Amino acid sequence: MVFGQERATLSGYVRDASNGEALIGATVLVKAGGNGTTTNVYGFYSITLAKGTYEIDFSFVGFARQLRTVNLQENVRLDVELTTQSNELQEVVVVGTAERSMVESVEMSVNKIDIKTISRIPAFLGEVDVIRSLQQLPGIATVGEGASGYNARGGNVGQNLILLDEATVYNSSHMLGFFSVFNPDAVKDVKLYKGAVPAPFGGRLASLLDVRMKEGNAKDHEITGGIGTIFSRLAVEGPMLNNNGSFIAAARRSYIDVLARPFVDVLQDGARLNFYDLTGKVNYHINNRNRIYLSGYTGRDIFFFDKQQGFSWGNNTATLRWNSIINDRLFANFSGIYSNYDYLLRFGEDDRDYFKWNSSIANYTFKPQFNYFISSNNELSFGGEGIYYTFEPARATGASNGETIDISLAKKYNLEAAVYASNNQRVGENLSVEYGLRYSHFWSFGPGVQYSYNDTTPGVRRLPVASTRYNRGEVMSDYGTWEPRLAVVYQVNPVSSLKASYIRMAQYLHLISNTTASNPLDVWTPTSNNIKPERGDQFTLGYFRTIRAQNAYELSVEAYYRTASNQIDYIDGADLLINEYLEGDLLSGRGRAYGLEFYVQKKTGRINGWIAYTLARTELQVEGINRGNWYPARYDQLHNLKLTGFYELSKRWSLSANFTLLSGTPATFPTSRYVIQGILIPHNANETRNNFRIPAFHRLDISARLEGNPVKRKGKVRKNTDYWVFGLYNVYARKNPFSIYFSQADERVPAGQPIESRATQLSVIGTVIPAISYNFHF
Amino acid sequence: MTLNTIQIILGLISFGFVACETVVDPRLEVAEPIMVVDAWVNNLPQPQVVRLTMTQPYFENSLPPGVTGATVTVVDSNGKEYFFEESVSDPGAYVWTPPTGEVFGETGLRYTLTILAGSASYQSSTVMGRVPPIDSITFRKEDGNQFVPDLYLAEFWAVDPVEPGDTYWIKTWKNGRLLSKPAELNLAYDAAFSRGGNFSGVNFIAPIRTAINPFDQDKNGNLLSPYVVGDSLYVEIHSLSEAAFDFMVQVQIQTDRPGGFAELFSTPLANVSSNIESLTPGKKAVGFFNVAAVSGLGRKFSSLDDVTKK
Repeated sequence: MVFGQERATLSGYVRDASNGEALIGATVLVKAGGNGTTTNVYGFYSITLAKGTYEIDFSFVGFARQLRTVNLQENVRLDVELTTQSNELQEVVVVGTAERSMVESVEMSVNKIDIKTISRIPAFLGEVDVIRSLQQLPGIATVGEGASGYNARGGNVGQNLILLDEATVYNSSHMLGFFSVFNPDAVKDVKLYKGAVPAPFGGRLASLLDVRMKEGNAKDHEITGGIGTIFSRLAVEGPMLNNNGSFIAAARRSYIDVLARPFVDVLQDGARLNFYDLTGKVNYHINNRNRIYLSGYTGRDIFFFDKQQGFSWGNNTATLRWNSIINDRLFANFSGIYSNYDYLLRFGEDDRDYFKWNSSIANYTFKPQFNYFISSNNELSFGGEGIYYTFEPARATGASNGETIDISLAKKYNLEAAVYASNNQRVGENLSVEYGLRYSHFWSFGPGVQYSYNDTTPGVRRLPVASTRYNRGEVMSDYGTWEPRLAVVYQVNPVSSLKASYIRMAQYLHLISNTTASNPLDVWTPTSNNIKPERGDQFTLGYFRTIRAQNAYELSVEAYYRTASNQIDYIDGADLLINEYLEGDLLSGRGRAYGLEFYVQKKTGRINGWIAYTLARTELQVEGINRGNWYPARYDQLHNLKLTGFYELSKRWSLSANFTLLSGTPATFPTSRYVIQGILIPHNANETRNNFRIPAFHRLDISARLEGNPVKRKGKVRKNTDYWVFGLYNVYARKNPFSIYFSQADERVPAGQPIESRATQLSVIGTVIPAISYNFHF
Repeated sequence: MTLNTIQIILGLISFGFVACETVVDPRLEVAEPIMVVDAWVNNLPQPQVVRLTMTQPYFENSLPPGVTGATVTVVDSNGKEYFFEESVSDPGAYVWTPPTGEVFGETGLRYTLTILAGSASYQSSTVMGRVPPIDSITFRKEDGNQFVPDLYLAEFWAVDPVEPGDTYWIKTWKNGRLLSKPAELNLAYDAAFSRGGNFSGVNFIAPIRTAINPFDQDKNGNLLSPYVVGDSLYVEIHSLSEAAFDFMVQVQIQTDRPGGFAELFSTPLANVSSNIESLTPGKKAVGFFNVAAVSGLGRKFSSLDDVTKK
């Protein structure tokens, strides 16, 4: 760019020609000069250039590129629609462009999986699953099979911010963790940030999972659905309001209870066992510059043993967004978001004896965001976020023999607010920097009671010594954090680059969970006078390159180092549920994690897929645990290898496979035993935590997909499509260990007799699990 | 909530999931044995035993070795002393036999235990808590369904005193045999499970009242009714100090390991607490000292007429 030259702006949306869906992260490249940009999460781009005539190249993975000649004498609005590319040879070219952007972009520690890829990964019981598919990525671990959530670069499950159209999802699991709440039919794009989180986001230490819903086909009505082993699914989408808008509504429900009802009396007598979710979105073009979106989710898991007793939990979210192109270089989005997670537990067969417990967390968010495309060398984003929370840890009553007692705990009220500014600057031909700053602040408000606790030996319950009562609106405690964000990319040559980043993150909500896997009754609790905000720093270095041999390969190596303060742990025997003095049972420590991640992906050809390998260490240090020494976290895995492969056998058959090999996770083993009052107690004389490793884990899953015959029997081409998926999970039926636990033998031992002790290895899935599903689309 | 409903739900949940368990024999770290003090005395009119043993390697399935030649004394806050004499026939047992008409302890008094074993000495102190009487034991019938047979369940009735902060261990004997599995530990904080609840001054809540029922299976794995006509049961409430209650909750967490799916939601293995303090540097001990007040009541299930009508 030459100074003094007059400039003009080219801007617009890039969409999928087949259904009008905005394409997120599509590349817009100026042929001469190599300037370029990518579309934002709403598919909008803006690029400012010296006046002149340009050839602009629009491209996106899996779509045919489009070259447009633009005579840029004044600001030009150019909306582009790309068409799906099925010809493989050309696909290579398209992917090549996208790969260049991976090398060029300042983004790192990010994995993006499109829903088509997710749907091809062999899935447990054949149910396509967003969260479980993350397990195939580098840097992602889990405490074991069947556990909910995921662990990103040594973070715990509660340190992931999971957003569905910007709304926080507090519990991402159905059925205790086997399935996630996202309906694949309604998901468009899944992006996971394990590091280098940009300034617009904050609030969790370890990762950000940004799930974006489809907008709904703006051109044609479409119905997709399927019958799987667990869920039946149906989604409807199409244009509305004279093609000025579109909608999608998608539903899933488990149906085992429906099938079992005729055979199971209790199901006829009021027992309920099901889980479902509904996902919907509408959007409307107010005019050329303004568009609104309304999306929502509701899902619930219900386990009721009879009419009265059982438990259920679920998330509800709603997001209202207004996109506005204020001028050709300034894009604004205003989001108003509601999110709620609640559970309820009810026991007792009559009104004389029962226990009833509701708990919830709700938040209301307002988030204005601006993208200011200053020049082709500077893109500024700025904005803010205000989140108002209400926590209700327990609305609970119990009755014993007719006498009712209210054991509810007071609600907690909090506000989290943040402002940020971040600039993505191209410094020279080969160097780009994204530098930003976020400031976040967290307040606790009355009405409420704040306790202070005594000091005692670490690891022993602290008792309340004083309490202060606050009135409505009074500030009980507050904390602020400056969160710098920095990312640099240096392009070594057209096919390779070096990247580095540093981020600081703060987390003000804490998931209180001391069980191996997180469960639906885990409570979120806010920062307070006793619980300090969790703060974390992460440094990353990366090398990225593409290899353009016969097929395109994409390769990255990243090293990360993370530290975290105020990490929550628990005293032994901690009482975490309905406890007014919960904070006295919590310990505070620090964490560190470091690792190397290797990732090689072959994106095209009849055989494609990726290899992800992570070498990592995750450790914690907490006074009162492990004699105050560093110890490995429960999800620490030294080696973590995943292979994911797809093979197109013929026009109708395709095969997928994935293989996982993981180091054994740590566990605490006893050294000794002793007997108190006839009960055998395990004892670790060295007071160590996680002093052993359970055996390594490896598993192969395969699936085959059969596309329905595209031609009818009489030779007519079918309008609708369908396919079958056949899968085998844990093909060679390995009894992979989840844990090893120590216990005394089952039988009652008379006094004076020796008690037998033993160790038991548990495999959550100890056999091969077949699955079949049928999916249709018309 | 009773066990049969849980079984039904677990049966339904476990559709398709084939959890699998294998007994394994990992090599463990070796540790020096340390002293174990099992000092749970009470005010029942019978010999009171303090047992001193040593820890064993975890997989050593023998009776723990007793510690002999020690001196065991308890002093109450009024200065009254109780000398526990070493048993000749049972190594490691130290016994105080109440003189006729006397029992150990008085509610509200503080007791200090002192142990001299070799060159080491240990001390502990506790307060004897109060205990409510058991008013009655009743039987009720729960109709079976296609998964479980008709069940006859027993329930004990006692009212926790009004002021909060009482803690108990409820023990049950069926036909003279103690229900001693870790899963059968029945602990109460006031009338409910935990201190957070403030559930005080009422009947023990239903899950505690009914946790006196053994759920056993026959050889074919079929669930048996906890009680049938002809069975008898005896229930005792033992008062615990608050520290002893916390200890027992930890014991329950560490030892009641049903395995299977529940392992996903288990807490990590950790050492349980101890109130035995070593007065000798370098010497360590584990175990607990509690002085309990006890109330008890028994009942025989003589005929179906004993079943409370709904």
